[in-house]
Amino acid sequence: MKYLGYVLRNISRNPVRSLLTIGSISVSLFLMMIMLSFLSVNSEVSDSLKGSNRIIAMSSQGFAAQVPIRFVDEVGSMEGVTAASPLSWYGGKYQEQEMPFAQFGIYPEKIFDIWDELTIPEDQKKAFIDDPAGCVIGFKMAEERNIKIGDPMPLKGTIYPFDLNLTVRGIYKSPPDRDGRMCIFNWRFLEEGLKKDFQGRQAGNAGTVFLKIKSGTDPAQVCQKIDASTINSDTPTRTQTEDAFVAQFAELWGDMRLMISAVGLAVVVSLIFVSGNAMAMAMRERTTEIAILKAIGFTNGKVLGMVLSEAVFVSTIGGMIGALGCKLLFDVFDISPYTAGALPFFFIPTKTALLGFGTSILIGFLSGLLPAFAAARLGVIQGLRKVV
Amino acid sequence: MVPIKYNTRNLWVRRGTTLMTVAGTALIVWSSCILFSMVEGLQQSLDVSGDPLDLIILRKGSTNETDGGFELDKADTMVTLKGVATDPKLGPLVSRELLNIPVMERANGSRTNLIIRGLDPVGRLLRRDFQIVAGRDLELGKGEAIVSERLAGRFKNSNLGDTLKVGEKESYRVVGLFRAGGGSAESEIWVDRKDLERNLSREGSVSSVQIRAAGPTDFESIKTVITDDAQYRLLALGEREYYAKQTQSTTFLKVFGFVIAVFLTIGAMFAAANTMFGAVASRTREIGTMRALGFSKSSILFCFLGESVILCSIGGIVGLLATLPLQALSFGTVNSNTFTEITVNFAFGPLVMIVAFSMTLAMGVLGGFLPAWKATDKDIIASLREL
Repeated sequence: MKYLGYVLRNISRNPVRSLLTIGSISVSLFLMMIMLSFLSVNSEVSDSLKGSNRIIAMSSQGFAAQVPIRFVDEVGSMEGVTAASPLSWYGGKYQEQEMPFAQFGIYPEKIFDIWDELTIPEDQKKAFIDDPAGCVIGFKMAEERNIKIGDPMPLKGTIYPFDLNLTVRGIYKSPPDRDGRMCIFNWRFLEEGLKKDFQGRQAGNAGTVFLKIKSGTDPAQVCQKIDASTINSDTPTRTQTEDAFVAQFAELWGDMRLMISAVGLAVVVSLIFVSGNAMAMAMRERTTEIAILKAIGFTNGKVLGMVLSEAVFVSTIGGMIGALGCKLLFDVFDISPYTAGALPFFFIPTKTALLGFGTSILIGFLSGLLPAFAAARLGVIQGLRKVV
Repeated sequence: MVPIKYNTRNLWVRRGTTLMTVAGTALIVWSSCILFSMVEGLQQSLDVSGDPLDLIILRKGSTNETDGGFELDKADTMVTLKGVATDPKLGPLVSRELLNIPVMERANGSRTNLIIRGLDPVGRLLRRDFQIVAGRDLELGKGEAIVSERLAGRFKNSNLGDTLKVGEKESYRVVGLFRAGGGSAESEIWVDRKDLERNLSREGSVSSVQIRAAGPTDFESIKTVITDDAQYRLLALGEREYYAKQTQSTTFLKVFGFVIAVFLTIGAMFAAANTMFGAVASRTREIGTMRALGFSKSSILFCFLGESVILCSIGGIVGLLATLPLQALSFGTVNSNTFTEITVNFAFGPLVMIVAFSMTLAMGVLGGFLPAWKATDKDIIASLREL
């Protein structure tokens, strides 16, 4: 600690170099944070859903296949299940925008018991249950699109032939790591429409079945029980806990995840070279000085420590600006509305930001290693003689 | 002008620093190149650049083949439409197609949604450059499948000769590998339409119909009939229009990839500047000597700028060379429109290379400018006096 002043002095004696190194590290880490968050947001959300006591049953044939609506009642009456609702992806157009936000057909009287972290005033919930053509939308979407209760919400079907002319009956609030831009509507309204106008084509499909189970019940057991009960039907199911269900979307990304990690790693290695280079240049200029330090009695270990701490200090500042700054920026500024629905929500998970910050310390350490050893090994006479 | 040898020798004398800077920039160029070619490859594999006379027929209101389809009866009558192109052997170029999108396991154990397409034999003529590259084409009604060459092996049991298990009751023998001009078909597995219909118990429906018109006027008339005629009332899109829409979803990724690459370049620019500042600082006396010998300020400026550009270009070339092993690789990711797997080949085209290389030049010029300017600004007497 005693030598902190000396280290700081050394950093600031060539401000251009230190600033350039800091700049290089912070810009690159900033980007790395964004790329890594693409990967980690999903697992972060999935982790936060552990213990939500929710499970989702989908067709073992994937999303394109049917899950008959009768399963909702059958499964809903199983032991340990407290509430069940269809969760049917509608995927419609809103004002000619294709799939601008998620739309689900659900049972209004059940859904808020299942999705209990979404909050909605009692009177709005009642209005939603009472109006078959009603819908509830997320608060973020309501703010951004300036939609109020009572406004129309026309959705044009792309998967289903039946268009939904809904009215907003309520606005739900949700925590930041949940989608605040969904539109949920009464599943029965879609069903009636398909039966009435389209001879029941594509009717009777629950999409997926969304279930709440009693806390303390083993979700894996319930999942197994459900799958066992449907295995011999025409539409066998694959039932998973909600976190596993969410995690499977990350799986879809496939090799893209690997590629993003590879680029991230390349950036880190590149930064080690960059800041190592800066450190080596600083040391070369200071060869005489280091020799003098040694001549007046500084041990090799002390010299090593001082050079290393200088490197770590510089890159840590870069990490603070790049990694932690990036987190702050995205906490304040929400980019989701500008991604045309590609990202329903985006944030830098704290873990990812800390990883970035940790990486900057590691970069400093690794980049300082070689110059520090060189400085520590420098012979006094040799160093004093050297003209730079 | 200061001879270029002066710069190259200097880079050699300071080879430690040079090597580190080269390694740094090479990694950045490598990364940018991967990002670009990934986005470019993604776009190509969503595209088909089909014949301008090809039409795709969907249910009205749907935006995508995967959005569910319409009645087979309607599709059956389309062969009688006036103006449909005809193949002497296979008859009218009308292919009725049915899609299944099961969850399949990749070779590495992760799962995703994969398109299995059942189509009429004539459908092969409606894909650009369709060819069987290994094995043979499937025989109708025998539960056989052909797999895109670049997809084969990326999923469990998808190699030639394997039996591909789809569901509890559905399986196909892989008898051939195909290519189809690098477009979206190369992310699919093809089977006989009737086999698929039977396996899915979806007799009597199709997901889409692909048609080729005999000429531009026929193209328009078929489009009108299918859209307006009470018998059809379906959505008829030119294939080009359809695929242009499909590739729109990559716009976001494209912008994202570009922004990342630009920022990476800025980061690398700082690094290059750092190296050059060091190079200038340690040669103060030399610069003074050169000025005393009569080299003008501008030749000093160009000298150091040139050195910076050489330095970054070496990095750029190394980075580009490092992408060579990746050229033949294909990878799988998700089509965000349909949530289905797309198989992508890296596309290190000349354009990607040129853009990535220009970025290194930008690094060299912009990163080297300030240090070079500093070099010209030195006072001759003072710099000669410096240690």
